[in-house]
Amino acid sequence: MSGYVELKNVKKIYHMGEVDIEAAAGIDFEIEKGEFAVIVGPSGAGKTTVLNILGGMDTATEGEVLVDGQDIARYNRRRLTAYRRDDIGFVFQFYNLIPNLTALENVELALQICKDPMDAGEVLREVGLGDRMDNFPAQLSGGEQQRVSIARALAKNPKLLLCDEPTGALDYNTGKSILKLLQDTCREKGMTVVLITHNSAIAPMADRVIKIKNGRVSDMTVNEHPVSVETIEW
Amino acid sequence: MKKKAMWKVFYMEIRKSPGRFLSILFIVALGVAFFSGIRASEPDMRITGDAYFDSENLMDIKALSIYGVTEDDVNAFQDLEGVELAEGAYSTDFLHNTKDDQRVLHVMGAQEEMNRITVSEGRMPETVGECLVDDASDYQIGDQIVLTSGTEDPVSDTLRTDTLTVVGRGNTAAYVSFGRGSATIGTGSIYAFVVVPADTFELDTFTEVYLQVEGAKALTAFTDAYDDKIASVQTRVEDCAEERGVIRKAEIVQDAEEEIADAEQELADGKKEAKKELRKARKEIRDGEKELADAKKQIEDGREQIAEAKDTLNTQQEKLDESRKEYQDGKKVLEKGWKQYKKGKKKFEKARPEAEEQIEGGEAQLKALKDQIAEDEQTYDNLKKQLSQLENAIRSSQDSAAQKGGDSTAAGAANAAADLQNQLTQLKTAVSGMEQKLTMEKSAASKAEKELKAAKKELSDGEKTLSSTKKTLREQEKKLDSAKEQLTSGQKQIDDAWEELADKEKELSDGEKEIEENEEKLVDARKEYKKGKKDARKEIKDGEQEIADAKQELADLEDPKWYVYDRTTLIENSSFGENAERLGAIGKVFPVLFFLVAALISLTSMTRMVEEQRTSIGTMKALGYGQLAIASKYLGYAFLATLGGSVIGVLFGEKVFPYIIIYAYSILYPHLPQILVPYDWGYGFMASGIAIFCTMFATFFSCWRELGAQPSVLMRPPAPKNGRRVLLERVRILWNHLNFTWKSTIRNLMRYKKRFFMTIFGIGGCMALMLVGFGLKDSCYEIATLQYEEIQFYDASVYLDEDITDEERERLHQILGEENGVERYMDVEMQSLTLVNDAGIERETYECVFPSTPEETAHYVDFHDRKTGEKYTLSDNGVIISEKTAKLLNVREGDTVYIKDEDEGNKPVHIEHICENYLEHYMYMTPAYYESIYGEAPEYNTILFIMDEPETDSSAADMLSDVTGTGAGESEAASPEEQLENVGETLLKEDGVLNVSYMSDIEQQLDDMLRSLNLVIIVLIISAGMLAFVVLYNLNTVNIAERKRELATLKVLGFYDLEVAEYVYRENILLTFIGAALGCILGKFLHLFIIQTVEVDSAMFGRIIHGTSYLYSLLFTILFSVIINGMMYFKLRKIDMVESLKSVE
Repeated sequence: MSGYVELKNVKKIYHMGEVDIEAAAGIDFEIEKGEFAVIVGPSGAGKTTVLNILGGMDTATEGEVLVDGQDIARYNRRRLTAYRRDDIGFVFQFYNLIPNLTALENVELALQICKDPMDAGEVLREVGLGDRMDNFPAQLSGGEQQRVSIARALAKNPKLLLCDEPTGALDYNTGKSILKLLQDTCREKGMTVVLITHNSAIAPMADRVIKIKNGRVSDMTVNEHPVSVETIEW
Repeated sequence: MKKKAMWKVFYMEIRKSPGRFLSILFIVALGVAFFSGIRASEPDMRITGDAYFDSENLMDIKALSIYGVTEDDVNAFQDLEGVELAEGAYSTDFLHNTKDDQRVLHVMGAQEEMNRITVSEGRMPETVGECLVDDASDYQIGDQIVLTSGTEDPVSDTLRTDTLTVVGRGNTAAYVSFGRGSATIGTGSIYAFVVVPADTFELDTFTEVYLQVEGAKALTAFTDAYDDKIASVQTRVEDCAEERGVIRKAEIVQDAEEEIADAEQELADGKKEAKKELRKARKEIRDGEKELADAKKQIEDGREQIAEAKDTLNTQQEKLDESRKEYQDGKKVLEKGWKQYKKGKKKFEKARPEAEEQIEGGEAQLKALKDQIAEDEQTYDNLKKQLSQLENAIRSSQDSAAQKGGDSTAAGAANAAADLQNQLTQLKTAVSGMEQKLTMEKSAASKAEKELKAAKKELSDGEKTLSSTKKTLREQEKKLDSAKEQLTSGQKQIDDAWEELADKEKELSDGEKEIEENEEKLVDARKEYKKGKKDARKEIKDGEQEIADAKQELADLEDPKWYVYDRTTLIENSSFGENAERLGAIGKVFPVLFFLVAALISLTSMTRMVEEQRTSIGTMKALGYGQLAIASKYLGYAFLATLGGSVIGVLFGEKVFPYIIIYAYSILYPHLPQILVPYDWGYGFMASGIAIFCTMFATFFSCWRELGAQPSVLMRPPAPKNGRRVLLERVRILWNHLNFTWKSTIRNLMRYKKRFFMTIFGIGGCMALMLVGFGLKDSCYEIATLQYEEIQFYDASVYLDEDITDEERERLHQILGEENGVERYMDVEMQSLTLVNDAGIERETYECVFPSTPEETAHYVDFHDRKTGEKYTLSDNGVIISEKTAKLLNVREGDTVYIKDEDEGNKPVHIEHICENYLEHYMYMTPAYYESIYGEAPEYNTILFIMDEPETDSSAADMLSDVTGTGAGESEAASPEEQLENVGETLLKEDGVLNVSYMSDIEQQLDDMLRSLNLVIIVLIISAGMLAFVVLYNLNTVNIAERKRELATLKVLGFYDLEVAEYVYRENILLTFIGAALGCILGKFLHLFIIQTVEVDSAMFGRIIHGTSYLYSLLFTILFSVIINGMMYFKLRKIDMVESLKSVE
């Protein structure tokens, strides 16, 4: 059966003057609905390209990108925006909160453009920020900011939660707790989560691990028994 | 090495961000261009004017005296220190009556040295009778201008000819604009100047003298240096003029004394003469009486003679009539004789051919008879011959018979003899018969002959009788003719005699008439004589009085008054300087705004640049570069951009702005030969210096903070700025109703304070600039309307002669009362005086005394406060003065000012009210208050009058036309202006009227002047637009650059392009409106400030900016904002979402 998310021979070629750079040289993988997928690879392997394409921020030069049966690679600018708006939740490495909106307002900002939003306060409480709702990002720690970011992504009720190195800017413990939050979200809500990281140590917690190297999928394994984050050390 | 690296860094920096570099460069260029350009306009305008004046050799000082200027005066001035040249000249005003109107022409003698005329068409006049005309007039080459003097003195008093032929058209720097000044004749305002050769004038003295000041040409007109120079020489000229006046006076006194002496002599002579003449006249009258009596007698005699002559004539006529009758009878007889003669002749003529025939027949018969006779005689002769032969034969036979006797022969012989005898007898009977017949015939012939003769005789007798009858008749006719001649000549004689008599009679009656007339004349003469006697007495007395007066006058004679003027006396010359000054005032305010904005722009740009390069700065620091070395990069960058901008700005601005502005003014000064816009390096350096200082300071300021920090701090991303709650959030109800983009917008505005204020200031500045531009227009255009439609309502003022008589004044009143279209008029006192305040500030003001009731006065002038609109009326307690006057004198209601009087000391005046007024300075008062100041009643020297309002109320006309159905059949009446001018002309013809000035003329003049401001305003608006453009573009670019991550995030979150743009626009829109609101306030104050700086002392510009101006400014501002935001949309679209994944730099 085809997966919930499926990439078929996706290529991304950047023309830099006379040189063509293949950021993605034919990527194929699929992710099932409700899976916690981790895409790992070293820097420059093409992870971010995949993320961009999957997140509707960039278009593939070649190939198909099927999300819930829709080939988003064929989408135009406007439909891509709509796709991002309705189907994607994005968690940034650097949180990317609007600095002059409070935690609550940052969540609400995302909600106001979405069709079927959850309650912002509730989501924030769920991510453990029930008492920091009225704080501005600058008043929050990195982990807290990332939680707001996750809450913002979750509140939209997306089909896909894309996380770009969510722990990259966080210390070890905070990173762990964030990963825990993501894993729990996946398990409890049946949310499809795609996490991109260069840290292969966290692979065991994923349902599916896709390894990318030199713009290609070098290995894809389905983990029958993913472990809890707490047990992982790196 | 280090330097090389530095330059490379510069180069790379500029290449990397050309937008930033250019935006600084451009705004600096704009600021500098505007500053130095507008500033330089003032000196450039002066230089342009000065070059024009110098090229035309325009005079510096003009002096004239009431007694004219003599050659000696001119020489005296020429010798004065500081005077380069003195030249006497002629000019007089004349009238020219054209088909349509009467024009006043200012006729000037062409000068050799000064006040050159530029010939635009044709040539200069060379001989008397030629002229060159003002090329602003409609005279063409070849036209003839016949001048009239407009006064009692004929043109020939002044000019050699009154007919001028136009040979050229031209202009002169003496009339720099359209105004031609005023005159004391005709309509009072000069239509055009006319140049004639100087020898066209026939005057003993020059009418004026022009001076050029040494070294004044080198100085620029309208500058203090020039004014000072002129003023110093002017003083000298005035002193000299005073001396000349004394000398002139002496001359005049001498002349006058001589004249008086002559007059006295004349008077004495006159007296004698008068007596003599009177005596003569009396004698003449007496002689005349006598002569008349004689004449009367003669006439009576004449009459008698005529009567006698008439009798004689009558008898003669009778005689003549008798002769005529005789003659008539004779004529009748003669006619009868003629008739008979003609009848006889006719009969004779008729009988004649018959008689002649008869005669002819008789003659023929006679001839035939004679022939018969001749034949018969022949026959008779023959017969006789035969008879003789026969007888012979018988004798012979008897003889023979006898002899022979024989009987046979004898018997035979006897027989023959017997036969012969027989024959003889027969013959003898035939002869006798013949004889008988002949005799008968002869007698018949003689009888016929006799008869014929008788017939002929009868005929010739008849003829003879006829001719003799004719002769007789002719003679008789002749006799009658001569009788007739005698008759006619007799008749003629009689007729002539009658005629003669009639003539004589007529002569007589004429003589009688003459006598009658002469008698009358004599009576008149007697009367005249009496009058003459009286007159002579009076005349003598008058003469004596006159001489006494003249003597008195001479004693009172003041020094000939000299008037010495500088160039301000030239029409509109000073307005040129004032315009330059006004430009300077604008240049002082506007560019400052540009500089402020330029400085702020560079501040934000540089701050942004420094912030962007935090890491780089940190690295440099970590590498061990000193603070100054690092800062120098940015300072250098700013310096380069500013310097570049300054150079471009100066080079461009100082050429373009002054040119445009002066070009705009050349509408007003059409003859400026060329616009000079030399670089004014002073302003250039000043502007560049300020610009460089501003940007360097801004750069230094923005570097300072960053440079102070530790390198490690710099290498890390800056702590995100704290979101801050704004005041509005406390209003929960309102806040909760805002959506997040609005919340964010509002918080954003508060967060980026610098940007907030910058944008507001930029937009506000732009709005304010445009508002000032439009507002200036409003204010300037408004004053004429305000002044003449809301404050001073009178249409014209008539200036009266100082010594106008009551009759003349009465006459004027009568004219104004009767003249068509004049609604009302009023005598006022109006004079120029100087007001002075406690601090010694002086101000020329018109003093007006209104003798009318407040209600009546309100028809002429409306006194009210500008702000509150409160109405004032004149009272006997104080004066009302105009607003600007009060402001310049720094006085308020209730204060006291003084009328300057150097002879008797200043007179205090209490200010009761201050009224709105825009043009000139006025001080209004009542006659009672006047008296309390001066201690005497005012002399009314001016008449103000108002024309009927043209029918504006059309409802009545409409109703009428509805009823009649004829539509708008307005009568073709003269336009109100024409009517007004007609009244003016009528008044000017009157004695005692000096001048009539029309308010509409002044209004027109003002409008013309202010129209030139239009282009200046357009320049302002365009500049403001450019300013707004640069500011908004720059700020938006910075804004977007600063918030790239935020915007990219929004995009990732799924905001559509438009929603992202809205997110930014919302701020911009809000800022635009806040800025515009601020701009309104700023603009209002700036406008007020500029108006006060720009306005000349003699006028107050309107303080109000119209609503439409606000609207236009706002619309323009919004338009600029929209254009910028439109451009931003594409910039926003281009933001890469990948930006959101990057770490905070």
